[in-house]
Amino acid sequence: MTVLTVNGVNQVVDAPGDTRLLWVIREHLRLTGTKFGCGLGLCGACTVHLNGEAVRSCQVEISDAEGAKITTIEGLNGGQGGHPVQQAWLELQVPQCGYCQSGQMMNAAAFLSSNPSPTDSEIVEAQQGNICRCITYNRIKTAIKRASEIMQGA
Amino acid sequence: MTKHIKKIGNLSRRQVLVGSAAGAGLVIGYSILPHAVDSASKAIAAGNWDHQQYLTMDADGKAYVYVTKCEIGQHVGTALAQAVAEELEINWDDVNVIYPDSHAKWGLMITGGSWSVNWTFDRNSRIGASARIALIEAGAKMLGAAPNNCTAKNSKVISDDGRSVSYKDILSKTTIDRTFSEEEMKSIKLKSFGEYSIVGQSKLPFDLPGKIDGSAVYGSDVFVPNMVYGIPVPNPVRWGAIPQSVDESDAKKIDGYVGSYVEKNGFARINTGYVVAFGETVWAAMNAAKALKIKWDLGENKSVSSEDIRNESVKLQQDPSSGFLWVLEGDTDKAMDNAATKHKAVYETSIAYHGCHEPMNCTAYEKDGIWHLHGGNQWASMAQPTAAAALGVEADKVVCHQYLAGTGFGRRTEPDNFVLAAQCSKHLEGRPVKLLFTREQDMQFDFHRTPTYQVVEGGSEFGRMTAMNHDVVAGWSTKRAAPGFMPDSVDKKGKVDQFSTNGSDHWYDIPNHKVRSINNELSDKALPVGFLRAVAPSWTFWAVESFMDEMAKKAGEDPLAFRIAHLNARGKNAGSPPNSVGGANRLKNALLVAAGRAGYGVKPLGENEGMGIACVSSQERGSPTWTACVAEVKVDPNSGDLTIKKVTVAMDVGTAVNPEGVKKQIEGSTLHGISLALYEDMTMKNGSIEQTNYDTWTPMRLDQAPEVETIIIQNGHYPAGTGEPATTVVAPAIANAIENAVGARVRSIPMTPEKIKSALREA
Ligand code: FES
Ligand code: FES
Repeated sequence: MTVLTVNGVNQVVDAPGDTRLLWVIREHLRLTGTKFGCGLGLCGACTVHLNGEAVRSCQVEISDAEGAKITTIEGLNGGQGGHPVQQAWLELQVPQCGYCQSGQMMNAAAFLSSNPSPTDSEIVEAQQGNICRCITYNRIKTAIKRASEIMQGA
Repeated sequence: MTKHIKKIGNLSRRQVLVGSAAGAGLVIGYSILPHAVDSASKAIAAGNWDHQQYLTMDADGKAYVYVTKCEIGQHVGTALAQAVAEELEINWDDVNVIYPDSHAKWGLMITGGSWSVNWTFDRNSRIGASARIALIEAGAKMLGAAPNNCTAKNSKVISDDGRSVSYKDILSKTTIDRTFSEEEMKSIKLKSFGEYSIVGQSKLPFDLPGKIDGSAVYGSDVFVPNMVYGIPVPNPVRWGAIPQSVDESDAKKIDGYVGSYVEKNGFARINTGYVVAFGETVWAAMNAAKALKIKWDLGENKSVSSEDIRNESVKLQQDPSSGFLWVLEGDTDKAMDNAATKHKAVYETSIAYHGCHEPMNCTAYEKDGIWHLHGGNQWASMAQPTAAAALGVEADKVVCHQYLAGTGFGRRTEPDNFVLAAQCSKHLEGRPVKLLFTREQDMQFDFHRTPTYQVVEGGSEFGRMTAMNHDVVAGWSTKRAAPGFMPDSVDKKGKVDQFSTNGSDHWYDIPNHKVRSINNELSDKALPVGFLRAVAPSWTFWAVESFMDEMAKKAGEDPLAFRIAHLNARGKNAGSPPNSVGGANRLKNALLVAAGRAGYGVKPLGENEGMGIACVSSQERGSPTWTACVAEVKVDPNSGDLTIKKVTVAMDVGTAVNPEGVKKQIEGSTLHGISLALYEDMTMKNGSIEQTNYDTWTPMRLDQAPEVETIIIQNGHYPAGTGEPATTVVAPAIANAIENAVGARVRSIPMTPEKIKSALREA
């Protein structure tokens, strides 16, 4: 048994300790906003926050996540939605198929909390690991800048 | 579309019924009135009529538009609902969409070819209009006015003396009973361009908010009580392998291992044989898939490589007896003999992978004699009967349930995942199975885009092309997937796969033109090949538009002026309504717009920088979307590294139903085209795809995305498809730009730095 704290709720999970956090979030806890893309840490579709930092949940064993504060897209902004990143994503109509976008937003949210007014090249570097197959990259770049403005009250 | 309509008595003609069962809302759909029922409202109340229901309205006055398409990122439901709402004169806030389950009554359920809006805009407009007419008639009665003196606006019927009654009041208080004959439907006068208030607005897509808060439900998010997980074990060869024996001893040690499904006979639409591991959890199933020890018979393709497929293409092209003619105009041989300037070139494209970000999946189970298949699907009319055949049941015993799809690109037109999930569940006696492909499975067991080999030869005199010979050698996906769809060749010697050749029948005015379509059967057999976004125009225009540039330069002409000289809307290039009205003139216009906006031939450029142009009429000659592109590049002549500085795309869409949606489709498909043209290499060795995940197969990342400027040209013509054409126009524009930058001609996709360097050496 592993106890995980996901979006502020303690969850008791009956799964082997080497099970990847992604599968427990999605298939055991049914928080399906977090997606599977590659299983090798290459695409970012599975990005969640572990104590506020963006991690690839397909690479995290649940035994290593015990005691950490885990946040998924469903729990962003205290579970109320409307995080500045989400506001910007809506304003710019970023998603097409949408499959990569939870991971994109979780990555961007963690990045902006450590770097609230990034330069263009810092944005590119930070978001480089997140693949979008609809190739919405240009809107993602713009939306991150917009989210940064929103965070600063603009 | 009409063949399932049964003839009953003399009521053999389809009508549109607009009817409500008192206070229960309104149903609008195509049908014939059922036997022994004489009114639309009675038929609807009886509820057992075989109809295509395209719109319903509830007693609150809300409208639900039925969308028999798959949301793969194009927000199609929103655009289709806009067409209905425009004529229905309803408040947009009162509109929603429903994605129905598969059923024969819907006719062809397919999402592809950029057909969705193009095929249904007129029908949906008329559906909305017929409901409006019925509501006006009912509302007029309530107001004690003549219908002719009433209009509809903002969910209300308004009489000319200013009184009004809301749709809600009408639908909650009266019964509507109206039928429209096909003639009456056709004669409804629809609004035209300039009169729209909902069409042409960038309405927020219905599917967007859920994709931002994480609540959107995709096929892989389906849960069914008591389900197990199924993970396919990758075959050692793409096609042809058969499992001989399976040793489960290690798998059995895994907690939660349920068993395996071993299919030695295979199924034509999946593979020749396969093994799926089952687990109570996805983790158990994944571990079991790795732990099963399988002895395989590798089959006949075990040594096929990309080189073998290419060699076969070269051999076929050199044999004058291969292939069938797709275009034959004039006498190209004679014209070539007489030409003052001649040029010949070979263009190639590699194997390509769909790379749907949501890997293939399906959840299947049997309940009360009906098989339920859940997942995002682009061709339910194929998945449903194919799964039924595999299960050994009638087609009406299978229902496909539609979901959002994490991209489609044509991959979800294949039924393999649905059929396999159904077979797995049958193997477990109907227990629900959630079948998930890993990325490795998805990448290696795609129905890939065929590698292609094309030879183009042309001749010109006085700056005009007099002849073009074009040989297209490719795998034929339609031959495998839907052979009945293949048309006769123009020489009537056989069938041609139009989805391997269309685009080569371009809109340039060249009096002598011959296209030979040649099937590489090794490609069909070893890969086998499928339909990838934009399909044939991705390679035919690669060849045609690269060649037009080369030919222009050889003839001493400017590539833009040279193209313009060949774009004349006359003869077969005059075009015809509704789709291709305007013909080659519209392509010329798009080209001028793109060139003008980008500053082609005008903008100052630095060293090793260049601009290239291209224009296409993708997808098919009967449904062209006139698209032009200018690519601005910089090449590092030492490393061969290419930087795309900017691309400008101008697209004549006729009417943009949802302009922001169109813009997003152009942006995404342009960048997808660049990703395919530069980064998405794929190879076969020993009958197997060599790349396995996003480390060895490397699609475009954020830092590689150039600025895309889009220009949407609207002129009020019928809406054209916008999801695919830009994919086909960028590659030749880039190759033409590379030549203009550093003098090197690259004729093979993907255009890697190595290929650019080798072209530089030849320059
Ligand atoms: S699924 Fe975790 S990085 Fe791709
Ligand atoms: S929006 Fe479709 S993969 Fe990113």
